[in-house]
Amino acid sequence: MAGIDRELKKGSAELLILALLEARPRHGYELSKLIESRSNGQLTFHIDSLYPLLYRLEEREWIKGTWVEQPGERRRRCYKVTAAGKRELARQRETWATFVESVRLITGDEHA
Amino acid sequence: MPDWALEVRKRLASVRLSPTREAEIVEELSQHLEDRWRDLIAGGASHEIATQTVLAECKDTLAPHLASLRQARWVDNAPPQSRWLSLHDIRYAIRALRSAPAYSAVALAVLTLSIGATTAIVSVVDAVIVRGLPFPDADRLVAVGERRMKAAADGENLVAPQNFSDWREQQEVFIGLAAVGYSSIMLVPEHGQEPEVLKAQAVTADFFPVLNVSPLLGRAFTPENERRGNARVAVISYSLWQRRFGGSPDVIGRYVLGHVADVQILGVMPPGFAYPVGDLQPTDVWLPNVFRPEERIRGNDFSYRLQVIGRLKPGVGIERAQADMDQITARLAAETPRWFEDRVAKVEPLHGYLVKSVRGWMYMLLGAVGFVLLIACVNLSNLTLVRVSTRSKEFAIRTALGASRWDLARALLVESLILSVVGAAFGAALAWIGVELLRAAIPPEIPRAGNIAINVRVLTAAMAIATATALIFSAMPMLHFTRRMNIAGPADTTRSAQGGLRDLLVVAEIALAVVLLVGSGLFLASFRQVTSVDLGINPADVLTVRFRPLGGSAGPQRTQEFRNLLENLREIPGVEIASLIHGGVPLRGDLRTVDFGIPGRVLSRNEDLDFNAISPDYFRAMRVPLLAGRFFTDEDRHGGEAVAIINTAAAKKYFPGENPIGKAIQFEGLRTVVGVVGNIRHDGPETDWRRQGFIPLDQSEAAGATLALRLNGELAHVIPAVKSAIWSQFPGIPLPDILTMEEFLQILIAQRRFNMLLLSLFGLLGIVISLVGIYGVMAYTVARRTKEIGIRLALGALPVTILRMILSRASAHLAAGLLIGLITAWSLSGLVAAFLFQVQPTDVSVYAGVGALLATTGLAAAFVPARRAARVDPAISLRLE
Repeated sequence: MAGIDRELKKGSAELLILALLEARPRHGYELSKLIESRSNGQLTFHIDSLYPLLYRLEEREWIKGTWVEQPGERRRRCYKVTAAGKRELARQRETWATFVESVRLITGDEHA
Repeated sequence: MPDWALEVRKRLASVRLSPTREAEIVEELSQHLEDRWRDLIAGGASHEIATQTVLAECKDTLAPHLASLRQARWVDNAPPQSRWLSLHDIRYAIRALRSAPAYSAVALAVLTLSIGATTAIVSVVDAVIVRGLPFPDADRLVAVGERRMKAAADGENLVAPQNFSDWREQQEVFIGLAAVGYSSIMLVPEHGQEPEVLKAQAVTADFFPVLNVSPLLGRAFTPENERRGNARVAVISYSLWQRRFGGSPDVIGRYVLGHVADVQILGVMPPGFAYPVGDLQPTDVWLPNVFRPEERIRGNDFSYRLQVIGRLKPGVGIERAQADMDQITARLAAETPRWFEDRVAKVEPLHGYLVKSVRGWMYMLLGAVGFVLLIACVNLSNLTLVRVSTRSKEFAIRTALGASRWDLARALLVESLILSVVGAAFGAALAWIGVELLRAAIPPEIPRAGNIAINVRVLTAAMAIATATALIFSAMPMLHFTRRMNIAGPADTTRSAQGGLRDLLVVAEIALAVVLLVGSGLFLASFRQVTSVDLGINPADVLTVRFRPLGGSAGPQRTQEFRNLLENLREIPGVEIASLIHGGVPLRGDLRTVDFGIPGRVLSRNEDLDFNAISPDYFRAMRVPLLAGRFFTDEDRHGGEAVAIINTAAAKKYFPGENPIGKAIQFEGLRTVVGVVGNIRHDGPETDWRRQGFIPLDQSEAAGATLALRLNGELAHVIPAVKSAIWSQFPGIPLPDILTMEEFLQILIAQRRFNMLLLSLFGLLGIVISLVGIYGVMAYTVARRTKEIGIRLALGALPVTILRMILSRASAHLAAGLLIGLITAWSLSGLVAAFLFQVQPTDVSVYAGVGALLATTGLAAAFVPARRAARVDPAISLRLE
């Protein structure tokens, strides 16, 4: 498989979504394009994985989806991070950083 | 571009989401796919490639991924789970009803009126004929009467004292046999009170033991009290005890001061005790029944005046009691045949005896109000049918979402039930008012009229009626609709078949209304007949005052007092003619008959003539015409020539083809006929002429009399003057009985008036409900055909053609309904024949009137929607749908 390992992606997906939504509310398609472009095509989310994930985050009340209407356009469902989501994001970032640091320490340059 | 929503929905098929949530997800995901597709196109992909790419990315793992979410565990906890009734159903039904305010309002109005009317009538019927008697073991109580074999109707079967006494001695089947007669006590006024007349019953000693009710205080009578000398005792009612004696416990032994005699109180009955039951004016006092000496021998005194009641011995049935009474009667008949020429003893349950005079009438009222209810049901069926067809889309959606036929049927049923229950609540309130009105209007002689009230039983009946109504009126549309839907599928509910049923219901409604209206018409016609009967007198502006001077007796002195009284009364402004009558005042049930004979002629046995002693002006006061000879004058007095006047009926019978003037007759002595007067319907408009004879008051032995005053002034001004004129002649006598002849006439026709009013009201209800039905169906038809009408108009049809088209449909309904209704009414009319007066149950003018009334009002009801149809703007109507 091209790109990042499936298990790794799954474990980091929540973090990715929360992080992308931290800056501003986005809709689902926008999220999937952002992930793909920022990962240089390494990470892709299609509807079968993206939306169930969004709905799960929503059920956990980390994000909140609302229908937003804009003149001349169809209404879209936009998601934003809730306060609980922000706390979760901070926690996951820390976990991730610790994990990356641990991995680096183990697999890193021993001559450094 | 592919239908992305369809693609998404396919992939969601196995996920259990609520319909709303599913719709949202479909919208969101199909947007995503479309955006992706457009991006691919924008990136240079062909439509085909773009579509293939998007579909490839849209994997089948969507459903499993979603399945683990909470929202994918949605359960439809409404219809499929609860097969019967749930709160959800009720909420849904209320919402549905509120969304159709016009339907709900009309349905509620129809239900309120029909359930209200039915409840009111049911409460009357319940009180008057259904409710049991409030005595212990009341089913053992019987009435024992003398039935005249030749009499057509089974009446009160009153008993002569002689027969009662023998029955009482000889019977072996009753615990006791008691006789009840009517009486009254005129109380001596105390401390300036108006003289009060107490309603009394003269009863034999067995009366209380037979009913099995003991006095609350003191004791009841013993056989000893039935003798003269021991009889000045009384048992009083609880209400008299409270009212006159303040409920004082030392009332026993005190006296009720009466004008004729004082009676000593022996006992007080418990509250609520009354016989018969629930009279509008309850009995205040029970006195011992003392038979007059002539009532103790089998002489010439035939006075059938007693109601006889008995309580069966344990183990004795009605048949056995009847057999015993038959034996006794046979024995007595052998001894004194002329007492039993056409009379037999009849034993019947007391309850049945008390209500039999009105049972048929009550059933008739119940039947009439039943028609109102039936019309209401048909009408609601129709309204519901229209409503169901306008909701076919809603039902189609619900079916698509998994609702079963039963779910839809139940939804309709719940709506109908809610309407009925609310209708019943309003109806009960309406009935409560109705019952007050009925109690005021009901003829006073109706047994147990005082008991009429809305009670739990009646309300239960009302709820049962309401539920049944709901079931009936929703069943037909429900079955019809759901069956249609199964065959044709939800999208099309085959309107034409429904139209057929609707037409049928309108026709049924009109037919029922016709039947009801024919009934009303017949009663109205009867009432008109009764009020236009020639009574032989003119009761308008005649005041009657009955009085009986205290002390003194008949004779020249009393005659002079009467003359003085008349002189004084003539002085009163407003009194046109003053006269006196002793004997039988017309219309008030008084009657006295005496033997009649013609010297030198043998008449058949038992000839008698109504006896009246009158002052000279009596006929002028009553406006009775003189047909031959002369009226009495002041010269016809005691010691003068003994004279008499007879009426036409007597003249025809006894002097056919002869001039009776100057003939001698035996009529309270030997007299010469000096005049012939017109006939009088003595017992009211529905009775025949009687043979009557009159003698001068001055030549009679009258101690008391009744004033008959023709007035030309205000009644209210005259009455006080009349009273004081009487009191100046006869100081202190009570005058409880001051009534106009018009009032007596009203009492006599009270039942007819009551029937006429009630049936007219029902007829009005029936016609209004049917007109609502005609209007509703026409309005619906027009609404549904607006497009078609628009096309016709656009193609050049004239509005008047459209008007005619719609009206012809209504006319067809009306014609069919009228025909069926008139035929039905014709065949049912025999049922009311007994309640009519001088009107044939098949009276053509009534039928024609009803036909014309319904035809015109029906067309008027159809005209409103028809005119709307004719005014349809083609441009607007074609844009519909």
